[in-house]
Amino acid sequence: MKVRLTAVLLLGLLMLSVFGATYPDKPVTLIAPGSPGGGWDTTARVVAQVLKETGLVTQTIVVTNMPGGGGGIGLAHMQTKVGDPYTIIVFSPPLLLINLTGQTKYSFKDLTPLAMVLHDYGAFAVSKKSKYTSIKEIMEALKTNPKSVKVGGISAYGSMDHIQFLIAAKAAGVTSLKDITYVSFQEGDHLAALLGGHIDVLSTGLAETVNAVQAGAARVLAVTAPQRVAGLLSMVPTLREEGIDAEFVNWRGFFGPLNMPSHAVEYWISTFKNMVETPTWENKLANYGWGRAFVAGTDFKAFLEKTNDLYKEILSELGLYKGE
Amino acid sequence: METLQYLLYGLEVVLRPSTFLWLTIGSFLGTVIGMIPGLGPATGIALLLPLTFVLKPETALVAMAAIYFGAMFGGSRSAILLNIPGDASAVATCFDGYPMTLKGEAEAALAISAIASFVGGFIAAIAFVFLAVPLSKIALLFGPPEYFALMVLALTATASLSEGKLLKGLFATAIGLMTTAVGLDPQTSVSRFTFGNLELQGGIDFLVVIMGVYGLGEVFKSVEKTLNKSSAKSIQRQFKKIWITKEQFKRTLIPMLRATPIGFIIGLLPGTGGTIAALMSYNVEKKLSKEPEKFGKGAIEGVAAPEAANNACSIGAMIPTFTLGIPGSGTAAIMLGALMMYGLQPGPLLFEFRPEVGWGIVASLFVGNFICAVLNIPLANLLVRVLMVPEKILYPLVIALCFIGVYAAEMSVVNLYLLVFFGILGYLMRKLDIPTAPMILASVIGTKLEQSLRKSLMLSDGDFSIFFRSTISQILIALTILSLLYPMISKTLKRRRT
Repeated sequence: MKVRLTAVLLLGLLMLSVFGATYPDKPVTLIAPGSPGGGWDTTARVVAQVLKETGLVTQTIVVTNMPGGGGGIGLAHMQTKVGDPYTIIVFSPPLLLINLTGQTKYSFKDLTPLAMVLHDYGAFAVSKKSKYTSIKEIMEALKTNPKSVKVGGISAYGSMDHIQFLIAAKAAGVTSLKDITYVSFQEGDHLAALLGGHIDVLSTGLAETVNAVQAGAARVLAVTAPQRVAGLLSMVPTLREEGIDAEFVNWRGFFGPLNMPSHAVEYWISTFKNMVETPTWENKLANYGWGRAFVAGTDFKAFLEKTNDLYKEILSELGLYKGE
Repeated sequence: METLQYLLYGLEVVLRPSTFLWLTIGSFLGTVIGMIPGLGPATGIALLLPLTFVLKPETALVAMAAIYFGAMFGGSRSAILLNIPGDASAVATCFDGYPMTLKGEAEAALAISAIASFVGGFIAAIAFVFLAVPLSKIALLFGPPEYFALMVLALTATASLSEGKLLKGLFATAIGLMTTAVGLDPQTSVSRFTFGNLELQGGIDFLVVIMGVYGLGEVFKSVEKTLNKSSAKSIQRQFKKIWITKEQFKRTLIPMLRATPIGFIIGLLPGTGGTIAALMSYNVEKKLSKEPEKFGKGAIEGVAAPEAANNACSIGAMIPTFTLGIPGSGTAAIMLGALMMYGLQPGPLLFEFRPEVGWGIVASLFVGNFICAVLNIPLANLLVRVLMVPEKILYPLVIALCFIGVYAAEMSVVNLYLLVFFGILGYLMRKLDIPTAPMILASVIGTKLEQSLRKSLMLSDGDFSIFFRSTISQILIALTILSLLYPMISKTLKRRRT
């Protein structure tokens, strides 16, 4: 009798695990394809924290940093995890950009899109002593002489900070995008370069400029968000308000490996959907100045395809597009 | 005086039991993290970030600051005892710290490194209190052309130190620069020398170079010696007190006082860091010394100067972070992130509106440095016993430590192959009597050198006159020429005297 009961129980357990009803039944690895402290890392850790605090995921989520290749290392690692329901990764626009510029042969098509959970935005900042008082003035100066304004950013040539400026410049009617000087400052010296007058405008993430604005050392001329952002930078106009019909969203979302089992995909989509509705998540969004967003599954995939085409267009104009 | 009142208030905050407890924990953790090769303060602070959810802001930030300078204390331990810098900024400590150990003076080396760290940190903290706001402006004067001039000066000064071997010194510099050419070029996103390998796109981490050339290279050399049985190192059984003699203190006092401002000012410049500060101050001491030939053979000044400099540097780096919102280093960037998690903003306003946080951090620089010094002396007593371990057991452990350290830093398998490569290279360089210091410095600053050259030229549209534009770069270039001519000048002077 006892033996039979055990057998039935075991069979039941086996069936449960086959149908994935207990998924996840072991710790999940969440990969941040950058170093500690960066945007991906922050997003991964905050999300892991919220999922735990709200009890949406009771299994441990282990955040693992896998920096290198602008995210390419993490992306390549996901190719060794095909079909694995226990590894997910956080990504943002560089996922598309590093493929378009030929840094990696893998693309967003080599992952299973789960959900986009937040929007971050870019900002264009000048030193408090700058003669420019609006983004429009900068664009006008560029129209007369594309070399007259020196643009700096953190990310590499052809990556986010550069692209967001060019998207704005293109919409403002600047034609010679290729002639605009863009210098990448990757050693933490970007703000010093701006405040010291070594560059005229800094094009980078919103969060990176907030500190200097608060300290009274820099001014932000425009944000790339569709609406004004909350908090300290709420007095800063959007590009559209300034008469430039453009926006740039630094979307961040989660992906599984290719061929992730469908029960796992559904699990994560519904988990993230529940997460973005919690007050804990709202709190985090406010703390970090992030915008609310939720796009999942096939919609997310369609978004990626559309965005990929937009980036491709800009990169082709710069001669940086390395596809066929 | 208002500043003093605020400082006293900050001290009161730091001496509250909960803050003091976390300051001590942070100092201890920092020391341990600093000792472990591959783990630096940035990783340590990032691991502590979740604590910000439960601690008060002043407590959490004080703990983080403590990790930062605690790591500067800890980094020298393995540099002195095993010739492996626990943290990149401790690489200059290897030059004379390890030779001191070989001479049986490990106790004095460990003691002076803790003392020098304390002196450098303490003086820098005083400078922080009174000069933070005016000094933060220095950070802004340095643009790409000024950085380029500074890096060239650092390289030529180090290469010219290898007296009579200038050519070998320049050769070593070239190898170091070559290692930094590998990887994705930030300005054009083009892969260079990566052979299609994705892991090489991030470039060769100088930590791998340092651990290979120093850690593994040292083991290879010692294995050869042990096999020859000619000069096997005797196992040390008797240990002296971890302290220095009065005479040693007299010899190191001036070097420490000279190294502190060097480290402090370099710390103010975003993106330079403790490694450059330590190497620059080492160079200065060797140049000014009456017995430069003793450097590299266990001169105590060669330990004191870089240790004072890297601690002063870690405090200098906090100035642009807290006054301008500019993170001066990766570590400082993570601390800024922590501030933001609390909804706090850096800048002079932080000191006005939230004095318990702003002045608490400042006061923790004083108290924390003291705690670190007190922790490190008895800890050294324990650590120095590693010398009792016979070579047959010690060296395999050192090899394991190198591999774990390198892997922990980036979790990359390619780095392990590179480690072996640089280990062999380090061994060959020692055999052929090629100085390793210029190569290490070049591998640390090569990227910055190249990038600032190209950033400058991009900003000037290819016009080279940008390098002579400001007074700062003119002075730096003049010093560079002087440092190149120095061997010739000193030779002529000597000849005249005789």
